[in-house]
Amino acid sequence: MNARISFDDVRVGFGAGKKRKEVIDGVSFDLEGGEFVSVLGPSGCGKSTLLNMAAGFLKTDSGEVRFDGEPITRPESRRGVVFQQYAIFPWLTVEKNIAFGLTLKSNRRSRSEIDETVRRYIDLMGLGGFEKALPKELSGGMRQRVALARAYATDPDVLLLDEPFAALDAQTREFMQELLHEASQAERRATLLITHSVEEAIYLSHRIVVLGNRPTTVHEVIDVDVPWPRTPQSRLQPEFLEVRGHLEGVMRSLSGSTLRKAQS
Amino acid sequence: MQALRRTLLPFVGFAVVIGLWWVAATSVGGRNLPSPVAVFDAGWTGLRATDGLLVDIRLSVLRVLIGVVVGCALSLPLGFLLAWFPTLRAMFDPIVNFCRALPPIALSPLVIIYFGIGEDARLFVLIWAAFFASVVVLYEGITAVDDIYVRAGRALGASEFEIFRRVIVPATVPQMFVAVRVALGVSWATLVAAELIAAQRGLGWTIQRSASFFRTEEVYAGIILIGISALLMDLVVRIAQRRAVSWQERVVR
Repeated sequence: MNARISFDDVRVGFGAGKKRKEVIDGVSFDLEGGEFVSVLGPSGCGKSTLLNMAAGFLKTDSGEVRFDGEPITRPESRRGVVFQQYAIFPWLTVEKNIAFGLTLKSNRRSRSEIDETVRRYIDLMGLGGFEKALPKELSGGMRQRVALARAYATDPDVLLLDEPFAALDAQTREFMQELLHEASQAERRATLLITHSVEEAIYLSHRIVVLGNRPTTVHEVIDVDVPWPRTPQSRLQPEFLEVRGHLEGVMRSLSGSTLRKAQS
Repeated sequence: MQALRRTLLPFVGFAVVIGLWWVAATSVGGRNLPSPVAVFDAGWTGLRATDGLLVDIRLSVLRVLIGVVVGCALSLPLGFLLAWFPTLRAMFDPIVNFCRALPPIALSPLVIIYFGIGEDARLFVLIWAAFFASVVVLYEGITAVDDIYVRAGRALGASEFEIFRRVIVPATVPQMFVAVRVALGVSWATLVAAELIAAQRGLGWTIQRSASFFRTEEVYAGIILIGISALLMDLVVRIAQRRAVSWQERVVR
């Protein structure tokens, strides 16, 4: 086994004693080297909480999240994170944003190495010509490309993506999925994607972990057999449509049960 | 067209107010309400006189500058300390707010006892005013820095010090300019009052003296010069602000 990230019976709850309410009630799964795994679940099911624990922003109440076998205690650049909100630094240009991690003490590189890395990810993310642009001059899609480039640049072992495209319009989203797919084909880094989009999860993943909620548990894990590499046409292949039909049904029943529980 | 309107409309506003003033002055007349022309004449004469209003302007502007520069410089480390350490903030926030709410002029009797009525006394009051105005704006701005940038920095491998220097500080620069502008406003208000009490020259002193000789047109001229000086200093800071934080997204209205 070469699990990069492993969730081992993770539990999170609020309150104490009899009043204690589990929010996440025993979630276990692994992300292996070179693997792209999506965590799919209805909104409010604690998907982002899981990612925040993998990043090192949050602690578990019981159970453990491990990185290469070691318990995660704090954020570090070996686990790159891309957030749903545009978290690129608004006071830095595109190239300085991408170079940020490489100019820190923990990850310092030489000037020429930094230039080379920045160049490579500017090209990979199609940001050529915008090196000196400030974030305020960029569209939402371009900002997320900068955020992806910045995360890739520090050469992380694992990439954690927290609904990175959720704030984008449908067309930009599809384009970004294709761009991310090409990038992850080229980079082959273990990637964990949090999403509530069935389409996005199938298009990008080797495996999909479906979460059910209230309290959150792993509902099922699906291996996606759509051939690699994926292209826009993949979205029309029978394997794709079959998984999609299944997952949409599951998602509908999961959010339906959430609604019923919320009403009762 | 839109830009032309925006630059012209303020002048129209001034013209309207001056016009109304003129009408009022000619219909009431007398010494109590001098006409804009008389005020302009008084101001112009004062500005051209040797050892005249220019000396007072320079002195007042200098006092405000020293107060704001020293006050804001001192508030910077305290602002960051209070923002960074919640315990310190919980401890000192009420005291800082108390000192800020206190009108600085209320201190002047004490200041006169300790510092006399010289320049030191006035500068102390000004620095006090600028310091407490600025420190609150600063630490509230720093605590409002979006946590997402701090998280992003940490995930890229930044140490605590790097988070502070490379995320918190640049993210706070816009707020520093706001602090300076607030301090400027408070300092001008305080300056004039300070000069009215214990004065050796300065714009506040001129209007006080002119009033005691019942030269209302000089009082008006002095007041207007105070307004212009304060406005110009604010404008300079705003221009510097626009340059320094050009990365900020502006809400288009």
